[in-house]
Amino acid sequence: MSINSKNDILSNVKRHIKVQYDMPDLDIAAIQYPDKLEKFTQMCKAVGGDAMVVKEGEDINALMRSLYPDAKVIASNLPEIDIATVNPDKVEDAHSLNGTDLAIIQGEVGVAENACVWIPQNVKEKVVYFISEYLVILLDKNKIVHNMHEAYDQIKFNDYGFGVFISGPSKTADIEQSLVVGAHGAKGVIVLLR
Amino acid sequence: MSTKHTEAANRFIANKEQETWHNETLWFVREKRDKMAMDVPEWEELRELSSKIKMHTITHLDKYAEEFTRNAEANGVIVHWAKDATEHNEIVYSILSRHEAQKLVKSKSMLTEECHMNPYLIEKGIDVVESDLGERILQLMDEPPSHIVMPAIHLKRQEVGKLFEEKLHTEKDNSDPTYLTRAARQHLRNEFLTADVGMTGCNFAVADTGDVVVCTNEGNADMGTSLPKIHIVSMGLEKLIPNHKSLAVYSRLLARSATGQPVTSYMSHFRKPREGGEMHIIIVDNGRSDILGNDEHIQTLKCIRCGACMNTCPVYRRSGGYSYTYFIPGPIGINLGMLKNPEEYYDNVSACSLCYSCNNVCPAKIDLADQIYRWRQNLNSLGKADTMKKIMSGGMKFLFTHPALYKAGLKMAPIINHMPRFLIYNGLNDWGKGRELPKFAPESFTSMWKKGKVQKKNE
Amino acid sequence: MCLPKEDRHIGLPLRFKTDQPKTNIEMKVGLFIPCYVNAIFPEVGVAAYKLLDHLGVEVDYPIDQTCCGQPMANAGFENEAIPLAQQFEKLFDKYEYIVAPSASCAVFVKENYPRLLEKEGHLCQTSGKIYDFCEFLHDVLKVNKLPGKFPHKVSVHNSCHGVRELHLSSASELNIPRYSKIRDLLDKVEGVEVLEPQKVDECCGFGGMFSIEEPSVSVCMGQDKVKNHMATGAEYITGADSSCLMHMQGVVNREKLPVKFIHVVQILAAGL
Repeated sequence: MSINSKNDILSNVKRHIKVQYDMPDLDIAAIQYPDKLEKFTQMCKAVGGDAMVVKEGEDINALMRSLYPDAKVIASNLPEIDIATVNPDKVEDAHSLNGTDLAIIQGEVGVAENACVWIPQNVKEKVVYFISEYLVILLDKNKIVHNMHEAYDQIKFNDYGFGVFISGPSKTADIEQSLVVGAHGAKGVIVLLR
Repeated sequence: MSTKHTEAANRFIANKEQETWHNETLWFVREKRDKMAMDVPEWEELRELSSKIKMHTITHLDKYAEEFTRNAEANGVIVHWAKDATEHNEIVYSILSRHEAQKLVKSKSMLTEECHMNPYLIEKGIDVVESDLGERILQLMDEPPSHIVMPAIHLKRQEVGKLFEEKLHTEKDNSDPTYLTRAARQHLRNEFLTADVGMTGCNFAVADTGDVVVCTNEGNADMGTSLPKIHIVSMGLEKLIPNHKSLAVYSRLLARSATGQPVTSYMSHFRKPREGGEMHIIIVDNGRSDILGNDEHIQTLKCIRCGACMNTCPVYRRSGGYSYTYFIPGPIGINLGMLKNPEEYYDNVSACSLCYSCNNVCPAKIDLADQIYRWRQNLNSLGKADTMKKIMSGGMKFLFTHPALYKAGLKMAPIINHMPRFLIYNGLNDWGKGRELPKFAPESFTSMWKKGKVQKKNE
Repeated sequence: MCLPKEDRHIGLPLRFKTDQPKTNIEMKVGLFIPCYVNAIFPEVGVAAYKLLDHLGVEVDYPIDQTCCGQPMANAGFENEAIPLAQQFEKLFDKYEYIVAPSASCAVFVKENYPRLLEKEGHLCQTSGKIYDFCEFLHDVLKVNKLPGKFPHKVSVHNSCHGVRELHLSSASELNIPRYSKIRDLLDKVEGVEVLEPQKVDECCGFGGMFSIEEPSVSVCMGQDKVKNHMATGAEYITGADSSCLMHMQGVVNREKLPVKFIHVVQILAAGL
């Protein structure tokens, strides 16, 4: 069924195309901000999340503890996170990550215009990005770009073959357009810049 | 002179409070969209690029479809092709049965609506669970979406509260949106954890990498594809774009146009199956390749399903999604319905005042209103033109092509001003519903000119 | 309507592009008074004539003119408009400019006549030289002074076809510099206070036969539009399209609301 359908569809496509249009030049002068870091921080707040710059010499683990004093199940595969109670690389099954209070993950590129952070899958079970009640994304503050054009020029995939831009917490407005944070994924997202 | 849309709109507007809420709420989304658009100096340039990328892609669709397939297969993804809804549904079912799957958790997909997939699978004994909150609400109510991005926009919180009370055993009379959303989170978390297969739609399919890109705010597409090992993507043929550079353009337009957000919370790029899992992509035609040959309506294939044309449409806002007979409402739905089957969906063509606002908000610059104008021209040959409109148009042509008659008409017209009210404002006068008729002037401009009353006195 | 939009001035004689309108320019203008203006609002036509004449323009009115054909075309019978287009061409071909005090009718000729006449193998001559009255004053005559006074608050009705097809003002949906040719002109009239409603260019619900085919939605749109205009505190609702004004007036008269209507041309010609 499938092979025939493929041929039928493609030949129907070819038969119907009349005029062919050229690809436009995609290099456009896109928005630039005087202070990318400031814009990124402002946008993180605008999308319902937060961003903060870690002070020189500040202990990340202590900071995490102070931000999430009630978190019991903390998932991370980052070597420097010694408060982690679960390593998402080591779990047998993704389902066992249900009940995670806090996940601490590494982001690669931040985008000033919309608070996106590029997360190429860098744990065995990516569900940790979504299933945790709260999410902390660590990001090098020198890796913030102005806009999505620059971001797509930089992002990379690895062997896992999955990547996601995350911008703030999970949200919905499906009941009367009333915004509720924490639909299925994280109820809060903080980007820690350093 | 009325269509199914007219009649359904009457019913919607009869509930004035609901109509006002619906109108204002969607207008608020339009305003948020405007604010986002104005914050991007290159906004109009992005719309232009988006239009051109799509025109290029759809007129090289065979090339990009093959490139996409080649790359996806090289990534270990299984690609299927479906000519129509039946094939699509059969492919989904064959994947499910091969894995002896009982529960399918899915994120929002207008294509699966188009294919009527849920009833088909439920009939076969599959537990199909919609995971987008709005879609889940409607599934529990057994109703279709009334908007393509905000599916439950026609419902009030009390209705959702009552539904959840019955189905999810929430507190009596608690219709607080946060409370209800938390209840749904709990309920759907269990569904995610027990699903055998996850299904998503596809916002963009990137030819040169084989990526499928899915955008959600809730994170439901990601939950549904990170727990079960099998992921099925239902993808319309027109979702293809050439590369990541093109994707950058759409990533800036989609959410800003749709909901007035700078981007959705999650924009996920699926390139390979999960370790030890399977990823299937079903590329669906279902009439799309025929549209390529239709000069007047080819531009509908540029649509990225953002719903902005609905939010701005003054008719949609005041008549609601269910007033349209096609499952996609609003300006884009009027056109897609006519392309699907004009005999069945011509009733929606009346739902447009030709204000052209949809053309201006469309992030792909589809000529939506022009297309509706063109459909109207074709209704007569389909035998679907309104008889009264036809007679009136014919009469006007006769009058206007006979200047002497026209002048006589101008002279006679003021008589109507003095006709008894009951003769004018009867049930047949659709203008008289809510409006007084204009008064004819005692003397027309033509008559005044003829008598030299207009021209300068010294001439 | 699917034809490419070209620069309006291409093909027009350069000698008419002048910044000094009062110095008796040699231009002959054919005045087009659309059917419903003719029968219902002839005073709009009179005002148009008076102001053009005051500005030194030679105006002629071809007496056999009728309707542009838009009502039938928007209802789905554009072929019924072809004989009207042919008739219009014959009557107006000889003028250098055609001016109509109705944005919607002007743009119908401009955007649709070439296609309609092409069906009859005729190359349209009038589409390139038809102007809405405000557009003509603003872009061609470039008036910088108007004679009259109008000491009233007015709310400008930005009509759909005026805004989104004829570009009389910047459409609210687009990220382009804000402008309004109507406001620019009104600002030259002494004493007038120009206001604009919320939802600045939302449709009033007229739409030709739309108003009787979809009466519930149309009336609702009309009521909402009037409410928004009235909320500005204006005494008058004004605009470049009598059809929209007529529709809203129907609502106002039915509900006996305290607001008046005046075509923008009548304000611009105040005192003449």
